Amino acid sequence: MVEVFRHDIIIVGGGGAGLRAAIAVAEADPSLSCAVVSKVYPMRSHTVSAEGGAAAVARDDDSLEMHGYDTVKGSDFLGDQDVIKYFVEQAPKELSQLERWGCPFSRNEDGTVATRAFGGMTTKRTWYAADKIGFHMLHTLFQTSMQHESIVRYDEHFVTKLLVDGGQVRGVVALDIRTGNIKAILANAVIITTGGGGKVFPFTTNGMIKTGDGMALAYRAGVALKDMEFVQYHPTGLPGTGILITEATRGEGGHLKNSEGERFLVDYDYGVGTKAELGPRDMISRAIVQEIRAGRGVKGAYGEYVNLDLTHLGAEKLNSRLPFVLELARTYIGVDPVHQPIPVRPVVHYMMGGIDTDITAGTSMPGLYAAGEVACGSLNGANRLGSNSLTECLVFGARAGEEAVRFIAGSDGGNESVLQDQASEDADRIEQLRGRQKGGEKISQIRRELNKSLEEGCGVYRQQESMAPAVAEVAALRGRVSDLKLEDESRVFNTELIAALELINMVDVAETVAVSALQRKESRGAHTCEDFPHRDDQNYLYHTLCYFDPAGPRIDKKDVTLGTWEPEERKY
Amino acid sequence: MPATKAAHPEAMAPAVNGPTRTAPPMQPSSWKTSPRMKQYSRFGLTGWIYLLASFAAIYIVYGLGSGPEAYAQVQALLANPLVIAFHLLCLISVGFVLVRFFGLFPKAQPARIGPAKPPPQPVLKAMLYGLWAGATLVLSVILAGGIF
Amino acid sequence: MTTRRKFVVTRFDPDKDEVPKTQEYEIECQDDWKVLDAINFIKDEVDSTISHRWSCRMAVCGSCGMMVDGEPKLTCKTALDSYGDTVEIEPLANFPVVKDLVVELEGFMGKFQQVKPWIMNAKEEAEKKAASTMKEGTYRQSAEELMAFKQFSMCINCMLCYSACPVVSNEPDFLGPAAIALGHRYNMDTRDGGQDERNQIFREEGTVFSCSYANECSEVCPKGVDPAAAVNQAKFNAVIDWATGLVVSRPAPQGDE
Repeated sequence: MVEVFRHDIIIVGGGGAGLRAAIAVAEADPSLSCAVVSKVYPMRSHTVSAEGGAAAVARDDDSLEMHGYDTVKGSDFLGDQDVIKYFVEQAPKELSQLERWGCPFSRNEDGTVATRAFGGMTTKRTWYAADKIGFHMLHTLFQTSMQHESIVRYDEHFVTKLLVDGGQVRGVVALDIRTGNIKAILANAVIITTGGGGKVFPFTTNGMIKTGDGMALAYRAGVALKDMEFVQYHPTGLPGTGILITEATRGEGGHLKNSEGERFLVDYDYGVGTKAELGPRDMISRAIVQEIRAGRGVKGAYGEYVNLDLTHLGAEKLNSRLPFVLELARTYIGVDPVHQPIPVRPVVHYMMGGIDTDITAGTSMPGLYAAGEVACGSLNGANRLGSNSLTECLVFGARAGEEAVRFIAGSDGGNESVLQDQASEDADRIEQLRGRQKGGEKISQIRRELNKSLEEGCGVYRQQESMAPAVAEVAALRGRVSDLKLEDESRVFNTELIAALELINMVDVAETVAVSALQRKESRGAHTCEDFPHRDDQNYLYHTLCYFDPAGPRIDKKDVTLGTWEPEERKY
Repeated sequence: MPATKAAHPEAMAPAVNGPTRTAPPMQPSSWKTSPRMKQYSRFGLTGWIYLLASFAAIYIVYGLGSGPEAYAQVQALLANPLVIAFHLLCLISVGFVLVRFFGLFPKAQPARIGPAKPPPQPVLKAMLYGLWAGATLVLSVILAGGIF
Repeated sequence: MTTRRKFVVTRFDPDKDEVPKTQEYEIECQDDWKVLDAINFIKDEVDSTISHRWSCRMAVCGSCGMMVDGEPKLTCKTALDSYGDTVEIEPLANFPVVKDLVVELEGFMGKFQQVKPWIMNAKEEAEKKAASTMKEGTYRQSAEELMAFKQFSMCINCMLCYSACPVVSNEPDFLGPAAIALGHRYNMDTRDGGQDERNQIFREEGTVFSCSYANECSEVCPKGVDPAAAVNQAKFNAVIDWATGLVVSRPAPQGDE
């Protein structure tokens, strides 16, 4: 028996983008009932772990044009320039709004918001709050959202399926993790803001919850996933745990050194020019891998790494601007950055790709919107600049909310009995999965194999001969994941069932990553194919679209929206 | 879990009961052995001493108001070694509470950068002159035999 | 290098168990594991029926609070090598238990919302909202003004302080350390104009004066928020607010939000 709930707009995912969308809906029209459905309490969303800062034009020596150009160039000219233009225009307004909502930004002497340098940015435009911007932004948004009574939260509810009628999205099916009951939540617009899917890789900065659920939801409903091959490896993660050491360490003047103590980004030519440690993330990650391959990596218990040296910055600067980094290094790797260099290596951090959206945050399905990491505007193209993604959550979260409000004004409800049938069908599927003793595959085993395939096939450097087997292996896993064995038969707070549902989503997302990577026979941004080491604008200046098909993902192409800037050689 | 004591059955309970049955909240099992919690319990126990001391205070004040013979009785009682021991216990309790209070009190003040700034000069001068004038007035009245 | 340890874990399924019970697991633990790594290993490889909350594993999301050997700890931050051969894992104290190591959070969410933790009555909101640059659209704040509340904004809502607080254990109406610290954080933020309302809540329904300064909350806080400082500053401010309220008339609060 599926209980039915009715709202005007549903937001799936309660992180930075989701909460911003909810506030946008509540402010646009307080009479609308806005449901925020999240599988964790919103303050646990992974936005909380972002450290460095959020970018927007702030200083007099900066301009919207400069921010736009940096972003286009950073994206290796795959970013859609209309989306980027809108983004840089809205960015200062959104971050100012965040400040007015109470975000405790760090300040200059004169009391204005302080900005720091960041990778790929020609001037200081990253607004920061010590080194915990994501934490402060998420908590500010969550607390601000609490004043709006029109926002109704469904905390710890796992969305399993989009309800679609007549080609339009009409709601979601959600598993109430607490009771184990299935609910059908109906609305005339759904905004997906569930974040990325870094957990398909074994070594990632991402937390447990980043399993690509929203991407899989849209994908299975027939919406394309765009540019999935572009996975960002953040240059500096702690070996072993993968915990993020923010780019701000380099923004504040930190140096990357190899085993011989050389600042290899300066001493060797890795394409970052004078920017050195402040080059874009894809280039620096490649540089580190090259150093390790050349035998100049430092050997450790969790593989080889390079050193991030902050010792010359001084305790005072570290304590005031990078206190969280100090805490993380001391707690998780036993190193005191004031006196010792921090071991770091490239780690999966962000997915540039995601649900195919446009400048309105809308998708090909009427009523369905997406914003934040789960979406691909494409703002970030083939490589994202650090500190753009938090601002992206705000700008497109707000846009998605506003567009959804506009959309439902002309909308009638769908055929409820059809939707209830769809929901009951999904409820049966989930009931059969719970405590499925007769299965043959173990969740942790499939997860391990999936991780291994992706790591080998879709690393920093990829080869056609490693990507092809990855595609085959993940396709095989898609078959095996339908035969999972689950031990936990309980109804209340069954986390094994959630892990199984997440694993199914991860396999779908991983397949799109592998298939998209295989077909892109060039190197652009974060996708580096050793068989085709150069960028090929003649043949590959397009967005990869990946559609669900039972026989295997179907690839299509979408034009890149160019604008002020024509593709040129990406040199720093 | 026999060793752990239950907390208040409504502790951290939601305004509306949750949709599934919950097990009652329990106290931390470390409270029985933790040195900090033992210190906190002693801090709380000093309340009993103050209660008894307040009875003693009422008795003394009543004696003061009941004439010289009644007061002599009060003084005799106060000289009793048991009562002196009780007063020593009061002194120790107050010392204990003061140490704890001054240890914890500083963080009840808002954080600030550098030392506290004094009030502006005119205000400071007005306060000091006012204090001087007031003290002069009171002393003059006392010397003139107005009080005492 | 590994060490063999025994974990005594609280189990409770409301559909099957009358009261919580314990279950023992013996596993080989890596030397650099945190407590959470051990619990995840048990769930992945030994007994997948255990339910627990966790996410970021870097001490910032606040999900993984549990009692380890009777003390509230953030299990992703607590190294296993400071414990012995047997480690007791229980759900957070002072909270109703939903399942195994998962506790009921709605009580906290209610208290959280009660202190109105958002910027209220902001000055010049309309003009700043219309601006499109940082200089015109934001407030100025000095380093000292930021310092007055910054520490209290670091709370990750892990609720270890609620488990440690003797008053939370005995008085259900008490708002508790994290909620009061958050309300106080907004009171001390120069951008906020809602001090009157929050101080009234502190004095009345919130019973902030129930705090007996045990200081346990600050002892267990994994982020150095020092909620005890916030609660006791809040007590002062609430009294001063009451006193000034006797002398100065103030406008009625802007309706019930």
